[in-house]
Amino acid sequence: MILNALSITMIFLGVLSVLLTIWGGTSSLILYRKWKRPSRPEEKTSLEDRSYLILLIMVIVLLVRLINWPLFYITLQSFILDIEGAMCIFGVTQVKPGLTRFLEFLKPITFFLIGGWFILHILDRATKTSPLMRRKLFLLSIISLLVLIDSLGDIFLILGIAPESLVSCCTTITDILNRPTRTTPEAFFGPEYAHPLQVLFFITHLALIGIIGITLKSKTLEITFLRRRPILGLLFLFAILNAFIFLLSQIEVFAPRMMHLPFHHCLYCLWQYVPDSIAMYLFFILGTFSVGWGFTTDLFGKIGEASDLLSNYLRKIYWFAFFFLLASLILLIIHLLLD
Amino acid sequence: MPPNKRWITLFIIFVIISLVLGCQEERKSIESRCDYDGVKIEPIYAVYFTLQDGTEKKFCSIACASMSFSALKKQIREVRVVDEPSGNKINASEAFFVESDIVTVPHVKNRIHVFAKKEDALKHIQKFKGNWVENPFLS
Repeated sequence: MILNALSITMIFLGVLSVLLTIWGGTSSLILYRKWKRPSRPEEKTSLEDRSYLILLIMVIVLLVRLINWPLFYITLQSFILDIEGAMCIFGVTQVKPGLTRFLEFLKPITFFLIGGWFILHILDRATKTSPLMRRKLFLLSIISLLVLIDSLGDIFLILGIAPESLVSCCTTITDILNRPTRTTPEAFFGPEYAHPLQVLFFITHLALIGIIGITLKSKTLEITFLRRRPILGLLFLFAILNAFIFLLSQIEVFAPRMMHLPFHHCLYCLWQYVPDSIAMYLFFILGTFSVGWGFTTDLFGKIGEASDLLSNYLRKIYWFAFFFLLASLILLIIHLLLD
Repeated sequence: MPPNKRWITLFIIFVIISLVLGCQEERKSIESRCDYDGVKIEPIYAVYFTLQDGTEKKFCSIACASMSFSALKKQIREVRVVDEPSGNKINASEAFFVESDIVTVPHVKNRIHVFAKKEDALKHIQKFKGNWVENPFLS
């Protein structure tokens, strides 16, 4: 284990999350099962009191897990000097490649689900009768399971990264000629794929921003949910497609250009050499996730009193999406113009 | 202008100024780094390409330089490498290249060593189970 303030923080938060999610997840599942059963008023009051306690503690745990995603990368970054051969986070990920890859895949999913749950929670708190409580508890028990796996993974990873490990870094892997990020666009656009890929990114990104803008300006968010849901679902799918193109174009075109290293395609190096690109990524992730959160809020939030508030909340979520996606695009353009 | 809009405008101006300053700083910091992957160069393992237009490209290792070589081949006028025992820059065509168990630049696991004198290269081969390799910068 590499001992520093960040690794200790990661382990502390991991242990805390494990303990609290085991308790919170189990309790929310029990409460979920009890919630609908007819009960006496005093039993109902006791259930409500317990649910408030669980929600209060789990809200704190989930907030910690939201922060955990960036903290995970900051901690890996702090290990670079202790791993021989590591020049960026990629090198550190090569010490325990399987576990690190799994966590890198799990963390955005957990982040997305926690964010979506928080929006439902905020929507439910705005009502007087808490119509979303049962759904919230059920979703909380599922999220708890993911948080538990994520936290255990963090603990095992941090404990398992031994100092003085010898690894190869990104140059020997991300820059090879048959890397998938090169062969995929090459299959569509041929050997001169860089320019078409760049144009495709701008088209899809602008189209996504434009469609969100039209959705906000038109009455799409006020129409009946049966007509609205497919539109929001398609928008979410389009946002996922855009994220895929964003990733490809970043690795193949924009990252090398921003780093002034035309043959190097490592995004971890980009964050290291061009730190303000992290803000661009943050905006992009929040924008894309907001589109998804709009869809999940519509999917789970349409019940009782919450239905009346839904369109107003959806409007706010899509404004966020619009703002963040536009901000990430502006940051990218400023960078390309200044370089 | 309403106070909210004023704050947003100030925030945007602040972001743009930070980006401009940040980009200039990045450009400065990247000047002393490898032109392939941006790593800080250890002068004893460096490789230098002089291009037809007189500009110079520098690399942290033979590995990074040889990966760039194929793409830059047509523009390269001269390749210079560093003799490990003395630290002197020599033309790649006059150098002896040896591959051994010793890793020079760990992040690319570079095992190719450069020598100006044949006897130094032979000593290294005997000491570290090395073998001769061809000049990687032959066009």
